[in-house]
Amino acid sequence: MKILVCVKQVREPESDIKIDDSGRRIFADKSTSYRMNRFDEFAVEEALLIRETFPHTSIDVISLGPARSAMVVKRALGMGADHGIHIITGGQDLLDPFVVASLISSYARNNNYDLILSGVMAEDDMQGQVGPIIAELLSMPWATSAIFENLSPESGSIYVEREIEGGYRDCLELRLPAVLTVQSGINEPRYPSLSNVLRAKKQDLETIDANVLNTVPPRQSLARMAYPQKSRSGLVLTGSQPEKASKLLHILRNKSLIR
Amino acid sequence: MDRSTVIVAEHQGGKIDPITYELASCAMEIQRYRPTSLKFVILGDKVEDLAEELANNTGKDIIGIQDPNLVSYNAEAYKTLLGDLLQDLRATYVCIAHTTKGLDYAPALAMRLQGGCITGVEHISQEELRICFSRAIYNGKILANVIPETEPTVLTIQPGAFKAPNLDNSIAGSVEIRKTTFETQQSRRLGVKQTKESDSALAEAEVIVAAGRGIGKKGKLELIYRLAAIFPKSAVGGSRPMCDMGWMEYKRQVGLTGATVMPKLYLACGISGSSQHIAGMRASGFIAAINTDPNAAIFNVADVCVVEDLTRFIPVLIEEYEKQ
Repeated sequence: MKILVCVKQVREPESDIKIDDSGRRIFADKSTSYRMNRFDEFAVEEALLIRETFPHTSIDVISLGPARSAMVVKRALGMGADHGIHIITGGQDLLDPFVVASLISSYARNNNYDLILSGVMAEDDMQGQVGPIIAELLSMPWATSAIFENLSPESGSIYVEREIEGGYRDCLELRLPAVLTVQSGINEPRYPSLSNVLRAKKQDLETIDANVLNTVPPRQSLARMAYPQKSRSGLVLTGSQPEKASKLLHILRNKSLIR
Repeated sequence: MDRSTVIVAEHQGGKIDPITYELASCAMEIQRYRPTSLKFVILGDKVEDLAEELANNTGKDIIGIQDPNLVSYNAEAYKTLLGDLLQDLRATYVCIAHTTKGLDYAPALAMRLQGGCITGVEHISQEELRICFSRAIYNGKILANVIPETEPTVLTIQPGAFKAPNLDNSIAGSVEIRKTTFETQQSRRLGVKQTKESDSALAEAEVIVAAGRGIGKKGKLELIYRLAAIFPKSAVGGSRPMCDMGWMEYKRQVGLTGATVMPKLYLACGISGSSQHIAGMRASGFIAAINTDPNAAIFNVADVCVVEDLTRFIPVLIEEYEKQ
């Protein structure tokens, strides 16, 4: 089995997210912290679990982004992946998913992967498109939002359960090679181990300049960013904690929501 | 034939899903900026009656794809059958519901059509005379205004973002049913199974106190239960991370992949407000939110906002309640 896992570096989404003066980027400075997209951690873990079941599996991890995104490839190696690839791009915040998927596909096309995994979406741009687009560009079947999988290399297929609405799962079987995007909760991602981290430190990544791969024109562009409008009154309570508590109770009583 | 904006109708259990009309509203807004004819497409194993119903309700032309193998969703069938039909219809824009199904096939369908895909659309506007689609990024803290650089563009539309329109249905639209039997090559459907029992407690509750990642430690959940106890007819719910971490049973999950709830009061504690969570609770009667981050997306849908650490604030709230 040969697996490719696509990982992305994202800004900590719970941190202070502000639009910069250009109106087209999120403000960043030296103190900005980045990490691996949480959904991709589940994808890396799932690949590692497959290798535990099928020991002759090799796991490649690929990321696309500016120089700093090499960190997430190293982290995946620290978790136990075998080989890291970094497609280096400029520093844009948001890339067109078609461009991203085209670049990854042009790398994957020559490497005969049996399975390509990624998180269900990136926490920053929330597009959820790269996985299914890679599948279509490489003429592979795919399933998004996978919450369970069972690989059968001998029959050349993978059984997948997709998480759908209302507590249901859509069950299907895909012929290999296939693409899965992984939903959170499919497993418990491990922390990098010391021995793997030391190995990852010494190991070189395969780096590729995005410009030498087949570049395609983007199919969407960002006009600008804005802050969302409030859909309700959004009254912000002020004062000390007991004052805020008392105001909240007063409002709820007036609406007969509490006795 | 002129260019068209095509709506992919949603249906379930022999009924048109109301989201279909929201998609129509979105399509009509697109028409304001990009005049095209508006058509509906409906796929399934038995769609004749549904297509008639849509034609009567909307006054628009409906094209049904009826295939005995389309008992339920299959990505390969959808992308192939829709891909062929939409090319036929010279679709400029395609409106699909932003659901786990829509999001599964929309990007690949766009590739089939040599077009682009924009997911999670919430709003339509114009930027420098070009049509522009707004979508949430960074967990709903920011909106990105995105311009399509190619046609056609496949859109997935956030449920609840567009209100169902008033359609002129004085004259029923036409209905055309195309019959196919599509055999999948690369995938096989094995049915749908229920894994999370839905919690009737959430559906029946008048007040839901819900916890999110902001709670920090599993042990602090006790505060949420204590807070819920001061409300009559209350239940405790949670956001997806609560359930993924195993801190709460899945049946308590509120959101797109969990329960959709509409209590009289929804009290969100330490919930950042991802669009997937908001989709499950935005219809609640009154929404109060407690979060340390004043920019948390949950505050955009809240009636009352408390910028506090819930682990400190909830004990004070309970104390104040008991005093009065």
